[in-house]
Amino acid sequence: MLTIIKNTFREALAKKIFIGYYIFYAIVVLFMLFLVNLDTVEGVISLADTKQTVHMVEKGFLDLSWALILFFSLISTSSFIPSMLEKGTIDLLISKPVSRMTIILSKYLGAVLFMFLSMIFLLGSIWLILSAKSGYWDFGFLITIPLITLAFAVMYGIVVFIGLTTQSTIISILVNLFLIFVLCPILSVREGIIFTFVKNSGVQFVFNFFYWILPKPGEIKDIAVSLLMDKKINFWATSVNMEASDFTASWMSLITSLLFCIVLLSYSIFYFSKKDY
Amino acid sequence: MVIIETQKLSKEYSTRFSKQTVHALNDFTFTVNKGEIFGLLGPNGAGKTTLIKILLAITFPTRGSAKIFGTEVKNHKWKKKVGYLPENHRFPNYLTGEQVLSYYGLLSGHGNDAALKKKIDEYLETMGLSQWKRTKIKKYSKGMMQKLGLAQSMLSDPELIFLDEPTDGVDPIGRKEIRDILTNLRSKGTTIFLNSHLLSEVEMICDRVAILNKGDLIKEGSVDDLTRQENIFEIHCADTISLDLKQKILNIDGNAGIGEKEVHTEKGIKAVNKMIDLLRSNNIVIKGVSQRSSTLEELFINVIKQDNLPMGGGL
Repeated sequence: MLTIIKNTFREALAKKIFIGYYIFYAIVVLFMLFLVNLDTVEGVISLADTKQTVHMVEKGFLDLSWALILFFSLISTSSFIPSMLEKGTIDLLISKPVSRMTIILSKYLGAVLFMFLSMIFLLGSIWLILSAKSGYWDFGFLITIPLITLAFAVMYGIVVFIGLTTQSTIISILVNLFLIFVLCPILSVREGIIFTFVKNSGVQFVFNFFYWILPKPGEIKDIAVSLLMDKKINFWATSVNMEASDFTASWMSLITSLLFCIVLLSYSIFYFSKKDY
Repeated sequence: MVIIETQKLSKEYSTRFSKQTVHALNDFTFTVNKGEIFGLLGPNGAGKTTLIKILLAITFPTRGSAKIFGTEVKNHKWKKKVGYLPENHRFPNYLTGEQVLSYYGLLSGHGNDAALKKKIDEYLETMGLSQWKRTKIKKYSKGMMQKLGLAQSMLSDPELIFLDEPTDGVDPIGRKEIRDILTNLRSKGTTIFLNSHLLSEVEMICDRVAILNKGDLIKEGSVDDLTRQENIFEIHCADTISLDLKQKILNIDGNAGIGEKEVHTEKGIKAVNKMIDLLRSNNIVIKGVSQRSSTLEELFINVIKQDNLPMGGGL
């Protein structure tokens, strides 16, 4: 398993897209460096309440970049499965004394581990900059590293499934684009916004059904932000207080997303172990 | 000792859009013994690669069973004892030659230790790739890639090696080197399953061959047995055969081919003996008698042509 994970890393580093990936991260880090400098010098953001200021900057960063980071990471890694399935590559891999389940899990874990290390680089740098500049070492921000990695792991389950069934990088990118930026955000606001217009119980059932079975990458971000801001997190369901413009995240968003990933990944392994190559 | 054994192995594919069924392999039963170089021949689409893929559990059979080392092929543990070079193989092109061998060596169950490094160096040396070992393989030529592939298949000292077109893209000198490597492996007891279009090569190194056509096994046996033509003989004389004598020979075999000093007959050994008696009684000195054998290529073309004839057309 380690051999395939290590090779997945090599593959990732060999792809030109990763140079762009890290240039993007470096620009984000430099931008944060510039932003914090600017604020301190001009006093736009009060340093009196350092803790609150740091939290606001962190929240703002996560709100702006969570989906983008996720999507960019998925684009960068979505070719791993189709390239593994190319004729002449997959037959040799399967001919080795390694089970098909191990092959898929290793590819999956390799991509997730790569994401984790990339997030240590990106979010760790941002945390260092903010902490060094503000003097407030907010260790709570570091929880976003495993959480964004988990969100990636959930969405990468879709990449694996689509990669195995269609051998297409483009389709998995498009499906993720649709889920992250269109469907999942719509389903998240179904109770607060959509159901105020849609009263039909059948349609509401369909919305609820898809909400509960599909992953919720945006709501995993809400959990990260809530942890950051020391806000309460519900267990069962998210809640919205429209008057106070307040939103409470729920652990169930993370749990159902992980369940979705486990089911999809299990089916992908089953599919892969029965497929002729 | 039987290394590979199949029983009525069949593979059918259904095309995605039409409901047609393609029979890639039909009730294929055969065995390969330890230490043999077994050649698999057949035109494109005959089912050769399908057979190799079923034996390596890359593709699953529709019916029948296949065993390697006495174990059903579904179990992947036996693969530690097997090497494989696929046709048109693609190694990760971001790796160097040395890294490719290390990667596949580790996947084959080797430890990441000095022994593996030593073995990699040895095989790179054998293949003449030592000076390129730290070069990314995307810069390798087709022949170099093929040699690297062969090294990869042999790295774990397998007891059985499947080679699908191993000399594809290799120059004649390289082909000779590969042939020598394969015969050397056979002498060490390694069983080799060879799928090649180059019939002259197969003839040179294979002990036994099987010919497939449209998924059916149409001929199987040792190269000598298959290429030997039982009834075709040539008699070589030291003296010129007279016209009168030629007529008498034609009385024995009306279809005999008679040259100035040679007689060619397809009537078998009894006719040959009669002709020799006749020639000797006319004071013709016999230089030699030879039984003719066809080349593997001739045999292959003949059996495929015959198999492709409509039912009964060849009878």
